[in-house]
Amino acid sequence: MDRKKILLVDDSSTVLLMEKMILSKSEYDVVTARDGLEGVDKARSERPDLILMDVVMPRMDGFEAVRKLREDDSTRSIPVIMVTTRGELQSVETGYASGCSDYVTKPINGLELLTKVRSCLGQ
Amino acid sequence: MPNPRPAKPVGEPTGSEHQKKDLNQVNEKLRELIASLKSARERHEGTVAGQLPGDPANASDPRDTEPGPGAAAEDARRALTAAVAERDELRSRVVALDTEHRRVSEDYVALQERITEFAQLYVSLERLHGGLTREETLQALQEIVINVVGSEELAVFERVGDRLTLIRHFGVDPVPLREVKVGDGVIGRTAQRGKLYVAGRDGPVEASDADVSASIPLLVGDRVWGVLTVFRLLGHKPGLGEADQVVFELIRSHAGLALSLRPSDA
Repeated sequence: MDRKKILLVDDSSTVLLMEKMILSKSEYDVVTARDGLEGVDKARSERPDLILMDVVMPRMDGFEAVRKLREDDSTRSIPVIMVTTRGELQSVETGYASGCSDYVTKPINGLELLTKVRSCLGQ
Repeated sequence: MPNPRPAKPVGEPTGSEHQKKDLNQVNEKLRELIASLKSARERHEGTVAGQLPGDPANASDPRDTEPGPGAAAEDARRALTAAVAERDELRSRVVALDTEHRRVSEDYVALQERITEFAQLYVSLERLHGGLTREETLQALQEIVINVVGSEELAVFERVGDRLTLIRHFGVDPVPLREVKVGDGVIGRTAQRGKLYVAGRDGPVEASDADVSASIPLLVGDRVWGVLTVFRLLGHKPGLGEADQVVFELIRSHAGLALSLRPSDA
């Protein structure tokens, strides 16, 4: 089975480290970006199978980054899971409206993250 | 049974002769009766033998080789019994597999929780000791509280004499926290005693401290270097669990040392 590639976009080193530890132990290749702008660039160059996108980031936030990804033919179909500390309905609705596929809340729960990642990847 | 002695006519043979004749007649009839019983028995035995399945001697007609209705019913009963036993066996195996599946699923969930806990500890330790300056270490401490513990309200104090001075805050009003006297309220008592406070676990507090979820002394050896206080948790976080308390213990042991060793500017 091909190893799936996941792009992690977050400005927090703590979150990136947590996500990398959980996902790389589960046979995924991981690449990272530190804000929305870099995330969109990495999505175009790396062509990941899935993106985990933080919401609040410098330069470009997660919602705007997802909208950019959906406008581009080369990244339009990549599923995006929003990672947010705000579990409120409004934040979730904004995420879905911008084109994300699912969301997880911080602090990250390893089992929840893996379950949603596998679901988005059709595994 | 017929009467062997009919009435005696006049001028007929004598009594003894009659008796002899009657006896002979009786004997003859008995012989006929025995013969007829013997014949009937043989006929009956022949019929029964002809009904036995698979006996070529009685197979004058192909239909004679097929089992009779009684034997077929017996075979059906045996097959049914075997099928029921097999079904029960399969049911037992399904139940056993279901139980095993549930056990493995529970083990998997527990294992993933442990992996998450270890990841949290590793990440916290890595971040606390990875900073080159005090500012980077404070930033790491803040990120740990937000992303590992799950609170966007925190304050970090440094102990100076009998006072705690606010050196970092996020999501809270700093004014009432700028300076706290050691021994006052939950925060002051944390510095005084050097012990971790967790709301709900360590008893009630004053109304002014109702928003405090946890207060962690930051130690350098036995000395309290400062205090980290975590206020309200994120809305979707139900409460502090054992994994959070393990992270607090790690912060208690490492954060003070990490902060005390870093210069206050880059």
